[in-house]
Amino acid sequence: MSDTTLVRPRAEFVRGVSMRDAGTLIGLVVILTVFGALVPGFFAERNLINILQQSSINACLALGMTLVIISGGIDLSVGPTAALSAVISASMMVAGVPFPLAIAAGFAIGLACGLVNGVLVAYVGLQPFIVTLGTLSTYRALALIYTGGNPVLGLPAGFRAIFNGSLFGLPLAVVIVACVAVVAWVVLKKTPFGEYLLAVGGNEEAAYIAGVPIARTKIAAYMISGLLAALAAQILIGRLGAAEPILGNLWELDAIAAAAIGGASLMGGKGSIVGTILGAIILGAMRNGLTLMNVQSFYQLLATGLIILAAMLIDRVTRGRG
Amino acid sequence: MSPRLQFKGISKLFPAVRALHEVSLSVGAGEIHGLLGENGAGKSTLLRVLSGVYRPTAGSILIDGKPVTLANPVAARAAGVAMIHQELQQVPRLSVAQNMFLGHPLTRGGIFVARREQERRAADALAAIDPSIDPAAPLGTLKVAQRQIVEIARALLDRARIVAMDEPTSSLTPSEFERLAQVITGLARDGVAVVYVSHKLDEVFGICRRATIMRDGVVVDSVDLKDLSEKAVVAMMVGRELAREHHNSHATNKVMLSARGLSSATKVRNVSFNLHRGEVLGIAGLVGSGRTELLRLLAGADRATAGTIAIDGKAARFASPRDAIAAGVGLVPEERKREGIVPLRSITCNMALASMAVFAPRGLIDHARLKHVAVEKMSRVNLRPFLLDRPIRLFSGGNQQKAIIGRWLAAGTRILLFDEPTRGIDVGAKAEIYHLIEELAAEGHAVIVVSSELPEVIRLADRVLVMRDGTIAAELHRDDISEQAIAAHAIPQTQTPAAQQARQ
Repeated sequence: MSDTTLVRPRAEFVRGVSMRDAGTLIGLVVILTVFGALVPGFFAERNLINILQQSSINACLALGMTLVIISGGIDLSVGPTAALSAVISASMMVAGVPFPLAIAAGFAIGLACGLVNGVLVAYVGLQPFIVTLGTLSTYRALALIYTGGNPVLGLPAGFRAIFNGSLFGLPLAVVIVACVAVVAWVVLKKTPFGEYLLAVGGNEEAAYIAGVPIARTKIAAYMISGLLAALAAQILIGRLGAAEPILGNLWELDAIAAAAIGGASLMGGKGSIVGTILGAIILGAMRNGLTLMNVQSFYQLLATGLIILAAMLIDRVTRGRG
Repeated sequence: MSPRLQFKGISKLFPAVRALHEVSLSVGAGEIHGLLGENGAGKSTLLRVLSGVYRPTAGSILIDGKPVTLANPVAARAAGVAMIHQELQQVPRLSVAQNMFLGHPLTRGGIFVARREQERRAADALAAIDPSIDPAAPLGTLKVAQRQIVEIARALLDRARIVAMDEPTSSLTPSEFERLAQVITGLARDGVAVVYVSHKLDEVFGICRRATIMRDGVVVDSVDLKDLSEKAVVAMMVGRELAREHHNSHATNKVMLSARGLSSATKVRNVSFNLHRGEVLGIAGLVGSGRTELLRLLAGADRATAGTIAIDGKAARFASPRDAIAAGVGLVPEERKREGIVPLRSITCNMALASMAVFAPRGLIDHARLKHVAVEKMSRVNLRPFLLDRPIRLFSGGNQQKAIIGRWLAAGTRILLFDEPTRGIDVGAKAEIYHLIEELAAEGHAVIVVSSELPEVIRLADRVLVMRDGTIAAELHRDDISEQAIAAHAIPQTQTPAAQQARQ
């Protein structure tokens, strides 16, 4: 009763940037400052661009993951989706298929993988965690079976040039992911679909009564996640020049971490595109800094874990109870 | 002799709000004491102080004349205070006995739960009040009324000297209430002090001798109820006299919705009726008589297994609420929290949810237009406080309900289905919602109101359908509508001879 009047509405910090996003930004500034003080050359333009480049693949996956998490679901299958998309695109290119067509095929694979997840969740009514745990193994197995476990080598130089190029001094991969982020932001903030995602994740029963197309909304979220996994796969094989069926191992965990650091709630109904991007950069900057400091990878893993826990604790404390 | 329970000058300050200010009241052993007030008057805060959830900022609590410090719920329980919540805090999958011993199970050697012993003692406690409940049954298989009795038995088990009940009857039928009233009276006879919070004045008048009325965190007065009328008590609660409400009819002869032979898989059997433009059609009946299920069929939320619905004479098939909304039908559901609101989203977003496509003609939401419409609709329903960007969960039940009504206004809905429109809503907001429903009818909407509160049905309805066991047992026109007539048709035939007489 009366305690409901206690909580003041959360003020919008600047137009479009919530207090929570401001918190994530402060976290990023703190981490950058610490590494800037400890690592000489951390703030060099080249290194900063490096950080963005290293964060771009995770950011790409995390954007899709954020939409799925907002809808009240989770997508554990993004890594294997990427792998399946990568090996099929790559083998088509090696077989001489023009690469725009091969890329399109890769995207189609991503969408199809998401469609399967979405249908199983929305129409069959299975739990997202279990569905995508199942497809995580299935898609990975398909990629391994298709390639016999061998990497697809020798991608055409023309294809590699696309993803290794740069625009306005930024690697093209970074520019692409930035554009995707802007689109995702617009989708979430300015379209009925975005509102439906928040409603379905926030209270599915109420959304249903209000006429929200529940199944379509969920399926669309998983398909976007699959598509962005496929995009991440193209960026990676473009960079490497080869597609391994085991690529993308544990990608889902980094993507979930970025979304959670950015303020997405695994209960659904809550999440931020700006926050997710900042979350991905936090993880990227931290790994970059620790690598430059020659810290063993064991400790990098430890740091990743602690960052996630710290973000959740700060969330909890600042939000108070309930 | 000192009273069993005494609050002395209790104040509770929150950072932004003074929730309680120098509240003093006393309840004697064996007394059932009503606690009345609108939402936000401080009743729940006071109960939370009593049950150890909140520490008071000032003042003291005395039990049997001795000051006690109730630092946390465990301490309150140890001091003999049992709290029975509005929304029962139980674990449905565990057995009745396990629930009764939740948090402090009986053990053998401190390791193994002594299940048999728990069930035996649970049975002992239940025997006194309702022996028909099996202590080994999973709690989820019990009706809400029985679960409430389990909570009371748990209080007996703890040898509670004070039992506080927060809206215990909000989901009970009249006969279940009778049973609960007997149990509560029995508790009092054994010397327990009962604090009874309810919105339903007739219940409070029925079982309480004295009551304390609160408003804005202060005690207005502690009164003897036999000296007062309900009207006087309401005036004390809201601080003004509510105008006596008259019914106005705007019904026409034009049929807007007609249902023929509607049946559902579970509850509804062969229901036919017409709904007219400008009409408020009441649907009365006991809980479980199929009223909610009928509304869900009309709103497209469930599929009919047989029968047809026609809107404006055109046959309509609803595969989902989307179809019904497109045909101009909108449901204001009973359980607002579960089926009505998206708690984290703003009032504006909640309002716009059903008409998003209208606000985004070219794919992107036109926020200026959305805001314009939100201001218009929310002023119309008199939202308070008027903060359109504030998450809806921070509003009172009444204002959440106004936002849901605004949702259908924004969607251009012509047929509005209300399921228990004022459940859990305080007296002031109730009157506003009644006015709104009347205005909507006057504008040419067609309205169906399902309600368990007979005065509400009588206040609002031009015509009443009484449901029993999934069928329409009677149709009452305005002049024939009375509590007796409705009750006579709502209660299954064999139950009371008096009802049979009334029926003839």
